Amino acid sequence: MLARRSLLGKPGFICRSCVRQCQSQLTRAYSTSKDNIYDVVCVGGGPAGLSLLTALRANPVTSGLRVALIEAQDLSKVSSFALPITQFSNRCSSLTPASAQFLDTIGAWTHMKRERIQDYHEMQVWDGLTDARIEFDGQPSSGAGKTLAYMIENLNLTSGLLKRLEELGGVDIFDNTKVQNIDLGKETEEMDLSEWPIVELSGGQSLAARLLIGADGANSPVRAFSGIGSSGWDYGRHGVVASLQLEGDGWGGEFNKIAYQRFLPTGPIAMLPLPGNHASLVWSTTPEKAALLKSLSPKDFIAMVNAAFRLSAVDLGYLHTVPEGQEEELSWRTQHTHINAETVPQTVVGVQEGTVASFPLKLRHADTYIGERVALIGDAAHTIHPLAGQGLNQGQGDVQSLAKTIEYAVSHGQDIGSTLSLEPYSSERYAANHIILGVCDKLHKLYAVESGPLVPLRSIGLKAVNALGPLKNFFMEQASANGSKLL
Amino acid sequence: MSAPSRPAGVLLRRLSKPNGRLLSSSTVPRASSRVFPGPVATSSAARWNSTTTSSSTSSTSTSSSSNFSSVNPDEVSHFNELAADWWDPHGSSRLLHLMNPLRHDFIRACHHTQADPPPSNGLTYLDIGCGGGIFAESAARLPSTRSVTAIDPTPSVLAIAKAHARKDPSLRNKLQYRQTSIEQLTIPTEEEAYDIVSLFEVIEHVDQPGAVLERVRPFVKPGGWLVMSTIARTWVSWFTTNFMAEDVLGIVPKGTHDWNKYLNEGELRGFLAGRGWSSPMVQGVMYVPGLGWKEVQGSERVGNYFFAVRKI
Ligand SMILES: Cc1cc2nc3c(=O)[nH]c(=O)nc-3n(C[C@H](O)[C@H](O)[C@H](O)COP(=O)(O)OP(=O)(O)OC[C@H]3O[C@@H](n4cnc5c(N)ncnc54)[C@H](O)[C@@H]3O)c2cc1C
Repeated sequence: MLARRSLLGKPGFICRSCVRQCQSQLTRAYSTSKDNIYDVVCVGGGPAGLSLLTALRANPVTSGLRVALIEAQDLSKVSSFALPITQFSNRCSSLTPASAQFLDTIGAWTHMKRERIQDYHEMQVWDGLTDARIEFDGQPSSGAGKTLAYMIENLNLTSGLLKRLEELGGVDIFDNTKVQNIDLGKETEEMDLSEWPIVELSGGQSLAARLLIGADGANSPVRAFSGIGSSGWDYGRHGVVASLQLEGDGWGGEFNKIAYQRFLPTGPIAMLPLPGNHASLVWSTTPEKAALLKSLSPKDFIAMVNAAFRLSAVDLGYLHTVPEGQEEELSWRTQHTHINAETVPQTVVGVQEGTVASFPLKLRHADTYIGERVALIGDAAHTIHPLAGQGLNQGQGDVQSLAKTIEYAVSHGQDIGSTLSLEPYSSERYAANHIILGVCDKLHKLYAVESGPLVPLRSIGLKAVNALGPLKNFFMEQASANGSKLL
Repeated sequence: MSAPSRPAGVLLRRLSKPNGRLLSSSTVPRASSRVFPGPVATSSAARWNSTTTSSSTSSTSTSSSSNFSSVNPDEVSHFNELAADWWDPHGSSRLLHLMNPLRHDFIRACHHTQADPPPSNGLTYLDIGCGGGIFAESAARLPSTRSVTAIDPTPSVLAIAKAHARKDPSLRNKLQYRQTSIEQLTIPTEEEAYDIVSLFEVIEHVDQPGAVLERVRPFVKPGGWLVMSTIARTWVSWFTTNFMAEDVLGIVPKGTHDWNKYLNEGELRGFLAGRGWSSPMVQGVMYVPGLGWKEVQGSERVGNYFFAVRKI
């Protein structure tokens, strides 16, 4: 129940009652004032919030800021994350080299369990209706595989960030703690906090924030408090995730891992490589089909995943209509379908127990990322279709930009909470994120069409390249922007 | 050439207006000196409350005082009108807000030229003509700052500055406002003098810049810096600030600038030569639409520039 865990060094030889007495005096003296005034209050200890705090603490210019983190979950469970190398969490993300480089710069990369991170060098993407295919690898000309991205479990990332934060110290952490309410402060004799957000915690404390960071995910309470609207739509799709085992290390072997993505009429299905013969599944599909997938026995679930990379859309559709027996259906149908085995992922042979889960997919973009004494980062600012694996990377881009903006403000004596100081962050990130959101959205829509004029067009190679070009460009740009390999 | 200078000029105009009022309002201090003989500072700004001192008396002031006055009465009333939107980041002071970080870059550049590092126990600042406190607040927030004293003779402007500073608890022990002019401020001892004395967008609103610069010298600690910014008097600055901004575009009220008061960098150098200063530094800055304020070598001859000298 120790809600407030300070990462500061523990006091040495001070007796408990002294401390208590001292604290109560402080509280009396300053009550809602000094003791509770922070330069940065970050709500949300997900990848975005933890990265931001780490970046601020790791930089000597910003390390003098007084910072607090509020997180609903128990962070000690996150930081003690440990699984045998034969098991993987079902929430994995692909980090671009630029994101990985940034994590390295702030000193967090070395704290990740690197044996659990898988870099990949090649990606195969094709259209489920026409089989038009596009392949890309890190650097076609030079041959030697350049890293396109790193697959990492979200928990490995957040636990590494927490370890780095513990090493840096100086963050007041309120975990197991929810934001109860956010309001503006008051004007007193001493000072005028009438424009400062005051965050009330479930533990009873209230913190005044010079700058309140909303890193609190897609349903951001901070965004709601600031009256920042967001627009977008639900895709009517769920993302089904699972941790899988394949028949081998992949067609390219241990050192040339390949990611696969097939666009089905219901949405894309992706198989992303993890170390050894493990892989991570993200399958976006209708809520009904997602429900069916989750209800299947492991062997039928495995059959469905294998089918989704191999069978025609029509056959696959049929498999979704039967409540069980997919395994038998698949083995019968594959005898009658010609497949070049090496163009699809290796056969799935196992699914890790308890890892089949699903999340609703939506697109949301906040109307702005900043307000007076407020900045939004990560999913609080934008939620994206996972088809390009960009969500977490966009958040890392936000963090990098906001940390730079805050550094500039601090070194020039600006108030880091003023919109004037925050403007560079918003103008740098808003347009960039909007483009990515738009491209992924259009891709989803183009490929979610089963019949009509778009489908024959898709089959023309040119069209496929046109449509996938932007996607490809992302990866190529991200890979080339900062291509040096970590690990 | 006219292309870059035009936008710069427009900016300048706006810039110098808000800032200029800071300094030039020294009429008021003079008046107050008559009312309260002796070292003034009765209205001393250390407290956040009460600022409305003797402003009403200011109109009665005459030039009876033997002190020269850096304040031009016409300019004082003009600047009062502009006070309201000082801290509105989208108001007429926006360009000043945007320029402010470059002032710190310039001061840092000055410090970089020293063989000896600046004092490590924190720098002290005197900001003359502080206006609404854009520079004073920012200087006080820097971790390298020990204290900032910011003065301005115009009560309404200082009231804005004080009210705004109350919104940031971190300024409480580092920033002190005083309603006074440099002429009225008691000359400090050498130890009490300041590491940095700033005169931003002030000198172009003053009738006798040479006298102001003389007056300021004892406030700078030996080894400390006098830092200024102003506008060069060229046909470009006349065209962009007086003609374009006031007459054609009307974005700045007429009378905000008196182009004849603009000082060229060479003239500033001339004023200061042989009077106990060394290491003159100059940096021209230009507002480039879409990019913001940029340091542009040589632009000091055309428009806005920073100028600094180190006290021997
Ligand atoms: C199926 C799926 C697959 C994905 N695949 C990828 C991928 O391959 N690559 C990629 O880059 N991205 C991927 N993403 C997106 C990625 O997971 C998110 O973008 C990322 O987790 C967002 O991080 P965040 O820190 O912004 O928010 P979150 O991870 O949502 O963290 C928000 C935190 O705020 C806390 N919080 C919320 N409200 C409160 C409150 N009131 N008080 C206290 N704490 C609160 C929550 O507990 C949580 O810890 C995927 C998403 C989904 C759904």
